Amino acid sequence: MKLGAHLVWAVVAGAAGLFVLLGYFIDYEIIVAMRLVLMRWAVLIAAWALMLGIVNILYVHFIKVQDMEPGWPYSIVLMLALIATVIFGFLFRPDSEIMVMVFNYIHLPIETSLMALLPITLAVAGFRLVIQKRDWASMAFAGAAFFVLLGTVQWPFFSDDMFENLSGLREWLVQVLASGGARGILLGVALGAIVTGLRVLLAVDRPYGD
Amino acid sequence: MNVVGILVLMLFIGGMIVYATIGRRWPAVFRPLPAYDDLGAAIEEAVEAGERVHVSLGTGSVIGTDVAPALIGLTIASKIAEITSVSDRPVVVTAGDAAMALLAQDTLRTTYNSINASEAYSPNSGRMLGPTPFSYIANLPVLIDTEKVSVHVLAGSFGYEGALAVDFGTRLGAFCLAGTDDVQSQALIYATAEDPLVGEELFAAGAYFNQHPVHRAGLRVQDLMRMIIIGAILAGTILRGLGAF
Repeated sequence: MKLGAHLVWAVVAGAAGLFVLLGYFIDYEIIVAMRLVLMRWAVLIAAWALMLGIVNILYVHFIKVQDMEPGWPYSIVLMLALIATVIFGFLFRPDSEIMVMVFNYIHLPIETSLMALLPITLAVAGFRLVIQKRDWASMAFAGAAFFVLLGTVQWPFFSDDMFENLSGLREWLVQVLASGGARGILLGVALGAIVTGLRVLLAVDRPYGD
Repeated sequence: MNVVGILVLMLFIGGMIVYATIGRRWPAVFRPLPAYDDLGAAIEEAVEAGERVHVSLGTGSVIGTDVAPALIGLTIASKIAEITSVSDRPVVVTAGDAAMALLAQDTLRTTYNSINASEAYSPNSGRMLGPTPFSYIANLPVLIDTEKVSVHVLAGSFGYEGALAVDFGTRLGAFCLAGTDDVQSQALIYATAEDPLVGEELFAAGAYFNQHPVHRAGLRVQDLMRMIIIGAILAGTILRGLGAF
């Protein structure tokens, strides 16, 4: 019985994936139409999954509050904010002025402040990299980052000639070394992604369970 | 009809089947990847210390083009679930996408059932932390701190926020292994992670964890295709240099 269910999921996933994949290569009307239908279904299912995800968030934090696990007050704040946002959304519609205010004055500043942490984090990580990992790759990484930063803006203590030279070095680093390396990495990533997708199509990897 | 595309696809599938068939007689020898060795040691320490392993599947979507690294994340999560099933604190898997969180739950449930450890499974083991990249990242420090996470594995699609995700783990003293598909994010992760995975190293996880013969076969096909592409680029460069086209 279990084997039967397992086979059904594998066949459904494999067939759906195959139709979508073939839709990119074969221009037959039926296959292209099937591909579009399946992709629309996927979008609909993903939307319902989002609802389940929200329920999952509420459930996880509810359990935390119930068991008074460390950090439970944060869970209360999260649940209240989530419920309030949902209620506002239903009462005033998502494109109302109140919802836009919630987004512009609460959500956006919080995300922006997190984004602002990124340069500081990277600067600290750069120093940590040089101090802790003293191998040639880390030194090359830090050195390249240093010269790219130097050649990006006009520093007050640099003459115009010096800036032009550094700017040229930056261009060479970015356009030749970094660009070539990035293409090589992208090639490897693309090949890995194709093989990963094919493993799901061939039901070797079954993330949908048995 | 795109004949070349179909031929390449057939080459991939055929190569995987051939290498999986001959793999037992002529097993592949892979170069050592210290990141995966370090991960094994860190997981053993975490299990012994009663601490938790966290696998992050990133902020990519199941229906997006950036799903592949998260699928590898699920493979890693499955293997870690096997190892940590005896621990007081089994692995927890988080995602920024709800459908991916559901897949994580299914993967963990299937893994625990397959090793007769279904009591280790909890629906809370697979979670969605936040629907947007930064809301996901904002929830990570609380999770790492309160769940006593000592091994922080990031295997999924990340944007710039991936660097923050790694840094939160590093600051809280967790072992951090991270890999993603985006080249710029890989550079940020290289600077922040203790054990970064560069390029296709993330996609080799299944082969290195000995998950299935097809994983090892897939890695050999990747190498074969890479050689073909490199040969084509070199041939094209030489022919172009000679003025052939």
